[in-house]
Amino acid sequence: MEKNKILLDVNHLTVNYELEDETVEAVRDVSLYIERGKTLGLVGETGAGKTTTALAILNLIPDPPGVIKSGKITLDGENVLEKSMKEMTHIRGKEVSMIFQDPMTSLNPVFTVGDQIAEALMIHEKLDKSAAFKKAQEMLEIVGIPGERAGEYPHQFSGGMKQRVVIAIALACNPQLLIADEPTTALDVTIQAQVLDLMKELKKRYGMAMLLITHDLGIIAETCDYVAVMYAGQIIERGTLEEIFNTARHPYTEGLFNSLPNIADRKERLKPIPGLMPDPTKLPKGCAFAPRCPYASASCIEEMPEEVHFGGTHFCRCNAYKNPEFRIEREDIVYE
Amino acid sequence: MSDTLLEVKNLKKYFKTSKGLLHAVDDVSFTIERGKTLGIVGESGCGKSTTGRCIMRLIEPTSGKIVFDGIDLATLSNRQMRKARKDIQIIFQDPFSSLDPRQTVLQAIAEPIIQNKLIKGTAAIEKRVLELMETVGLAERLINSYPHELDGGRRQRIGIARALSVEPKLIICDEPVSALDVSIQAQILNLLEDLQEKLGLTYIFITHDLSVVNHFSDDIAVMYLGKMVEKAPAEELFANPMHPYTKALLSAIPVPDLRYKQERILLKGEITSPVNLPDQCRFFKRCYSTCAKCKGKEPELLEVRPNHFVACHLCEVGTNA
Repeated sequence: MEKNKILLDVNHLTVNYELEDETVEAVRDVSLYIERGKTLGLVGETGAGKTTTALAILNLIPDPPGVIKSGKITLDGENVLEKSMKEMTHIRGKEVSMIFQDPMTSLNPVFTVGDQIAEALMIHEKLDKSAAFKKAQEMLEIVGIPGERAGEYPHQFSGGMKQRVVIAIALACNPQLLIADEPTTALDVTIQAQVLDLMKELKKRYGMAMLLITHDLGIIAETCDYVAVMYAGQIIERGTLEEIFNTARHPYTEGLFNSLPNIADRKERLKPIPGLMPDPTKLPKGCAFAPRCPYASASCIEEMPEEVHFGGTHFCRCNAYKNPEFRIEREDIVYE
Repeated sequence: MSDTLLEVKNLKKYFKTSKGLLHAVDDVSFTIERGKTLGIVGESGCGKSTTGRCIMRLIEPTSGKIVFDGIDLATLSNRQMRKARKDIQIIFQDPFSSLDPRQTVLQAIAEPIIQNKLIKGTAAIEKRVLELMETVGLAERLINSYPHELDGGRRQRIGIARALSVEPKLIICDEPVSALDVSIQAQILNLLEDLQEKLGLTYIFITHDLSVVNHFSDDIAVMYLGKMVEKAPAEELFANPMHPYTKALLSAIPVPDLRYKQERILLKGEITSPVNLPDQCRFFKRCYSTCAKCKGKEPELLEVRPNHFVACHLCEVGTNA
């Protein structure tokens, strides 16, 4: 029973990009799970390994140069990484769908949007052409585009509309898991609000689970149940939405929150994280965040941090907690 | 005495298209005082970047006055304008495409100095470049690096150093941090803030990110389809937005704080085309609170409270306040 609740289980995933003269350690020993119907937010900066993790779940890592070094990815009880190419095509688009960041480039310019939605339905649901096109029109209505527009081409739609079409394609076969990689980054704020609202509504309606990749903590706050923070290929903190936003523990998570302008206090000076993310081809032996961390001690650079748990769902990877007295400066948010 | 550095009056930029006139900037007026920051916000296609570029005449305005430090830039010849641009600099959004990939950091920063004949002699120029690099927080060892060797934050620092090299009075920042990660974004915003304090710079800060503009600006102007629909001091605008579009825009910001709960105003539809606009409120088709007047006539930008300007028929009579 307990086991069945978990839809996606990623265990100790390590992905490298092996180039001629160097190796990029893109994902390092990442473990995560998503329960049915829940949303996990994956946050981190450019190059943290968020997209690579998502591509590995779909077994879409470009090879070469990408190599899945180790790990096990179980989706609905099946090991994704052991599937053949043919078996994978049945899973992609049917069990798991993915929405990419840029709606401008994820649609094919020479096919009508109706045909592009119908394609997935013909492959996975074995519908004939006219039935698939009819269902495609229904899907368009669901995402708020008049069904008559199914015969139009992508260039006839605006950015927000194109992203809706992409969502319609992704949801056409009613997937159990939707992976959304920065789905609203290319959109304007008012359109972003529309698309997020649509995604939330559809998620509720179909009871689907979602992996939402974003760098925007505001979007996470609105849509997610759980949050995992990635840095230099590792998940450095994970917890429920409340645990991450109200009682963050990792110094990097603290730094992320401090970097954001405070909407309540506009005069407050920003506190950026000093320095830059380490070069993923030359990662330090110990904690990758240590060179930028205000709390780091000499041992942090040498020793790989271990998971420190704070209750059932919340953990972070930080050696400073070896000292039981240690606390980050950010104060816990307690509701009155 | 108010110390006005820039006064833009009735600025218009129309582009000819096959379908008719595209009103990219339609009768925009504003003033900026020395040492202050004006934020211009709006969605893509609202004319905020075109406004910025028209001020520098990187795009020739169709009509309007641009009075900078007492001189109307719109009347200058190209040669005179080139001189005037020494006082107005621009920082672009994308540090990946705004630098010449074949120039080293030294060459990139030295270029405007040499162009404007500010300093003569290789050694003196190099000394000045090193000074500028220090000002913007670039390590000395990077002086011979090429842009592709540097990350986005450092490239944006080169862009800032280039802008500073000619000692401008006004810097137009066109989405200077939107291509950067949050932790780097905060570094650059702090740098711009420090420079303003140290050098007494005046900024026009163009962005779509409302939380950034709130943090950074003294005054904020909201643009929609080429028109300024609301302008007020930052605090006032956030505390008391009056135009329905501004309200929707503010409510759409995702806030990274779980305590912050607000009613979201979801707008119907999308920004319409700015080609051949009818004489009615531009926001009419997406607006959720309209009156009979909205369809008939374009509302004017009026001062409804001290320093708070709104272009909305409902706000004129105060029923929407």
